[in-house]
Amino acid sequence: MARERQQEYTYATPIRRLLVGVALLCLILIFLVWRIDSPRVERFRLMVIDRFVPSFEWAMAPVTGVIKLASDFQSYQQLADQNRDLRRELQQMKAWREAALQLEQENAKLLDLNNVRLDPKLTYITGVVLADSGSPFRQSVLLNVGERDGIIDGWPVMDGIGLVGRIAGVAENTSRVLLLSDSSSRIPVLIQPSGQRAVLAGDNSLNPPLEFLEDPDLVRPGDRVVSSGDGGVFPADLLVGQVALGSDRRLRVRLSADYERLEFLRVLRSRQREEIVDPGDIVAPESRSVATTDDAAASATDGQNE
Amino acid sequence: MSEPKRNRQQLTGALVYFSLAVMMLFMQILPLSSIPRSWTGPDLLLGITLVWVARRPDFLPVSMVIAVFFFADLLLQRPPGLFCALVVIATEVLRARSSALRDAPVVFEWLYVAIAIVGLTALNRAILSIMMVPLPPTSLNYIQMIMTIGSYPALVFAAHFGFGLYRPAPGELDSHGKHL
Repeated sequence: MARERQQEYTYATPIRRLLVGVALLCLILIFLVWRIDSPRVERFRLMVIDRFVPSFEWAMAPVTGVIKLASDFQSYQQLADQNRDLRRELQQMKAWREAALQLEQENAKLLDLNNVRLDPKLTYITGVVLADSGSPFRQSVLLNVGERDGIIDGWPVMDGIGLVGRIAGVAENTSRVLLLSDSSSRIPVLIQPSGQRAVLAGDNSLNPPLEFLEDPDLVRPGDRVVSSGDGGVFPADLLVGQVALGSDRRLRVRLSADYERLEFLRVLRSRQREEIVDPGDIVAPESRSVATTDDAAASATDGQNE
Repeated sequence: MSEPKRNRQQLTGALVYFSLAVMMLFMQILPLSSIPRSWTGPDLLLGITLVWVARRPDFLPVSMVIAVFFFADLLLQRPPGLFCALVVIATEVLRARSSALRDAPVVFEWLYVAIAIVGLTALNRAILSIMMVPLPPTSLNYIQMIMTIGSYPALVFAAHFGFGLYRPAPGELDSHGKHL
């Protein structure tokens, strides 16, 4: 009895209970605000991360290095097997290299003949991966380039070979890359050679499935998948990967980018993204249609005047 | 036990918790591999928080729980505030039962903590799905839940022998000179 009263005194004084209640209310409120107006809270989140994570960089780099060294050491055991496989692969690659060289020359010749200029906007900024998302439920990485380097939300990110993801959140010194494997990632893609369009929908696995495929029969495992540029979010013709048939009989994409080792990533300067200013409106070419009707009306009145 | 000594002990306990929490978050965000995994380890941060609060609630002020978990929410791309609020509720419930847990066998403590973790996971998922937030695969959540429950005894063991986190002996006094 006496003990219970003391318990009451120590842990459940009314003031303490009140403060904890207020804190809980604040937390729930923050959650609700995040749900209603997520961009603002996400900006705050990035600001906090931008403030704290780079200051840990001095410790993160050596620890990461040591752990990677250890895992490399383990892989020495499989070195002999790997070596044999690589030799075989190299043989095949040599044949491909010849073909590629010939094609490159041919391509250069054709480009020259057509007087083609490559888009100067497709230049890139290279950043180093600072940190992981830290959670098995989110697939994203933090880059050490941000607003001060001119990074803009929505720009595509590649490693040396293939598409990795896109910028989703920029802070002063850092920016977050949403990987293609994240469950909220959706990218419009084009499958060659059939020319089918589809959406690459991340599902928290290494091989994201293809969705909204018009005719799956035309698509074969091994087909190349590139970004289609639909919707104007992404530049077209960035290599994404190859089609593969998943164990669940769904068409999936084997990503070309090496997700095992994301270290240096290129952020492509792409076109200015379309700003969505008014969240309440339907996104439609309204201004143009208004303009054309205006023009029509104007020409009609002109016609009447004449 | 004298009052300054107790205060110092509480401060040390809180500091040990804080440095462990920072270290765990730090290890989690190391960019080791970006391959999505089909399994996960235990949520160690939640684990040590429950160990601390079930064994020595006087070492872990609720403000520390709020600060650590809100920061973790921000850092780990979770919906900010929700998981933190649920953890605060769970720790408060355990805190209120901690004196009863002190006399109970460890298995009962484990059971209590397991109920707290299951409730936490289920509520978190339920609220997120009500609010129509895109959810990660269910299996991943439950694997993590089971791993966290499974790792609890190991964490208790580590805290006991590694950091000297004992349950208070009967008759110990707190900083106000009251029985714990």
